[in-house]
Amino acid sequence: MIRKEREIKVIYIVILAVFAVFLAVPIIRLLMESFLGDAGIGVANYIEVLTEKGFLRAFGNSVTVSVCSALIATGLAFFMAYSIQYTNLNRKFKSAVRTLAVLPMLLPTITYGFAIIYSFGKQGLLTKLFGRQLFDIYGFNGLLFGYVIYTLPISFMLILNTMGFIDKKFMVVSRVMGDRPGQTFLQTIMRPLLGTLAASFVQCFFLCFTDYGIPASVGGEFDVVATVLYNEMLGSIPDFNRGAVVAMMMLIPSVISIILLKYLERYNVRYNKISQVELKKNPVRDGICAVGSTVILVCVLAIFAVIFVVPLVQEWPYQVHFTLDHVRDVLNDQSLFGVYQNSILVAVCTALVGLLVTYGAALATARSGLNGKLKGVIDAIALVTNTIPGMVIGIAFMLIFSGTPLQNTFPLIILCNVVHYFSTPYLMMRNSLSKLNSSWETTASLMGDNWIKTIVRVVTPNMTSTILEVFSYYFVNAMVTVSAVIFIAGARTMVITTKIKELQYYTKFNEVFVLSLFILGTNILVKIILGYFIKRKEQKEK
Amino acid sequence: MLELKHIKKSYDNVTILEDINLQIQDGEIVSILGPSGCGKTTLLNLVLGLTPADSGQIIFNGKDITKVPMEERGFNIVFQDYALFPNLNVYKNITYGLKNKPGISTKEEVDEFIELLGLKEHLNKKIEQLSGGQKQRVALARTMVMKPKILLLDEPLSALDGVIKESIKEKIKEIARDFHLTTIIVTHDPEEALTLSDKVLIVNKGSISQYGAPQEIITAPENNFVKEFILNQLEIKKNNIFALFHQSMARTVQAGARL
Repeated sequence: MIRKEREIKVIYIVILAVFAVFLAVPIIRLLMESFLGDAGIGVANYIEVLTEKGFLRAFGNSVTVSVCSALIATGLAFFMAYSIQYTNLNRKFKSAVRTLAVLPMLLPTITYGFAIIYSFGKQGLLTKLFGRQLFDIYGFNGLLFGYVIYTLPISFMLILNTMGFIDKKFMVVSRVMGDRPGQTFLQTIMRPLLGTLAASFVQCFFLCFTDYGIPASVGGEFDVVATVLYNEMLGSIPDFNRGAVVAMMMLIPSVISIILLKYLERYNVRYNKISQVELKKNPVRDGICAVGSTVILVCVLAIFAVIFVVPLVQEWPYQVHFTLDHVRDVLNDQSLFGVYQNSILVAVCTALVGLLVTYGAALATARSGLNGKLKGVIDAIALVTNTIPGMVIGIAFMLIFSGTPLQNTFPLIILCNVVHYFSTPYLMMRNSLSKLNSSWETTASLMGDNWIKTIVRVVTPNMTSTILEVFSYYFVNAMVTVSAVIFIAGARTMVITTKIKELQYYTKFNEVFVLSLFILGTNILVKIILGYFIKRKEQKEK
Repeated sequence: MLELKHIKKSYDNVTILEDINLQIQDGEIVSILGPSGCGKTTLLNLVLGLTPADSGQIIFNGKDITKVPMEERGFNIVFQDYALFPNLNVYKNITYGLKNKPGISTKEEVDEFIELLGLKEHLNKKIEQLSGGQKQRVALARTMVMKPKILLLDEPLSALDGVIKESIKEKIKEIARDFHLTTIIVTHDPEEALTLSDKVLIVNKGSISQYGAPQEIITAPENNFVKEFILNQLEIKKNNIFALFHQSMARTVQAGARL
């Protein structure tokens, strides 16, 4: 490389500095905190927490309910993905499944919990419809339900994506070779999917294990690690040292999950060519898939129905006539509508800052002559951010920035989100950038462009789709996240999800659902608008 | 004998194949030749049984097999990219079908295929370790073990280069001759079609343009399409190669004269 690439080196250093201050230092501080105690440095805190019955039970509970949820979510997701990729069902039905299946991602997990309470609780919508309470919602059942709804969309997208890359011609080969239908299914669908199914399981497990929103609402007496952690840090008798130990205990399974995911990548089967073949006519298979997928989606959506019903009637469940009073009240209440404005501000800023950080980082790794080891550092950062649960980042931020001018400010929340959600958008950026022709910078510089000009004039216009996707990813996640911000949002910097937690305390559920509807509406709007631009862009390129 | 009568196929109201009639004798090698999008792959899938025909009949040895499912027709196919199972080694790929139909080929016969296709030293290799030509031969062996009544080959040579192409061509001819095996090949390359097969079926826009022996096609093209797109291409190739050899011959002659 003859070019000096001064600009990219500056970007690289800035990115590294951001992650040093907002990731490395806080996490190290947290680690130190867990070893600090009344008697100086040592493992006393660990011994204290780990020998406690309460914590061990919570840990066991977390593992059990997460494993069950991950298994169920992966199974259901596989079923729906199969219905889309391997049946001759109507195209419109398939695209409806695709859209509806990912809808829950647009809502905060804390809302799922309340939706479950209002569906299956004693006065719940579905309880009324069925005439009796179907099961006890607080504790294991509620958590299981919530976690499955939460992880189903993510597992579904993962499996659907890999299934799309399976060469269907192998089914023909397997059939003409005399395999029975069951064998064909195992050899040409299950076998190439094994890695992804395992990855989906691990990913779902990780999400359930580290989520705070669902246990906050339907956990009841059934303690999980996330609730223990919250109580240690923000409960009636906060103990930061013990909290730090619990945070570390949450980190360990996360680290193991991510290592497993990395390992499982190897099992991904790569086909040279993906060919579509005509699928065998099989009305029985198609029928089962259509009914099954519909049932799954109806179950998920039925629970969400209450989000629309409860806030739009006078007083659930006693006065059930339609009214917009509650929506109007929220709009008029500055303390509530203000948080909505806060959320939008945070989401937009997170998306913009996130865009800059991921774009810069990806430029450094995908389009520069930097040393491979230096590039490896950024990839490692991406991996680490993927590993660290939101709650752990939030607590680490709380510990290190308390007392500084940054405490409880919007910039801190925004940076926290940017760091927390760095991994996925960074990889999206890196992949797209590395697919662009590698001689562009050289060509442009021969024609007199400087580096910045090339990026603005050539590279960025070819990245529009990815940039919009990254924006949308950051925006939606910033709108729905609760686990990290709950520890760093202040009274004046409240966002919707933390406000919901507060409203729960005062049992103001109408407001909870109205705010949830605002989040849902905003996210859908953003998705539609950005989706429209992405589609238009892609059509132009064809 | 394989016979197609008035075969029609369309997708979403777009006609792909219209009124296809043809007969293929036992042991013949027939190439289906045409530009991309002409319907040749659909025709192959119809014979294989993967795609059902909208109307018309497919008759094999006097039996109507139009409605017989793919698995029961007893035909077999080698795909352009071979579709070898990446999780199994070469030998396990070749003997894959024996698990389902033990005894369809004896141990000696399997060894014969391995010998014939020169795969003996590769049996324990992984699929990814093989070159394109080796993969093609493994795929052929795997299919031959199933003793297909008709062998279908989808663009068998287009992913291979130069010398390997010629040697695979010879192998295909050898197999068809030795086992008296009806072989149907889809290709877009006129040279390949005319040098490899007993008969060539030229397809254009969903119908048969000409069906005959290579010699007939060269000497008596039936229409403009065959002339313009098939013969013209070969003519250009021929002239280029002649020019090349002529130059080098002239140079040799000149060099000789100077001496």
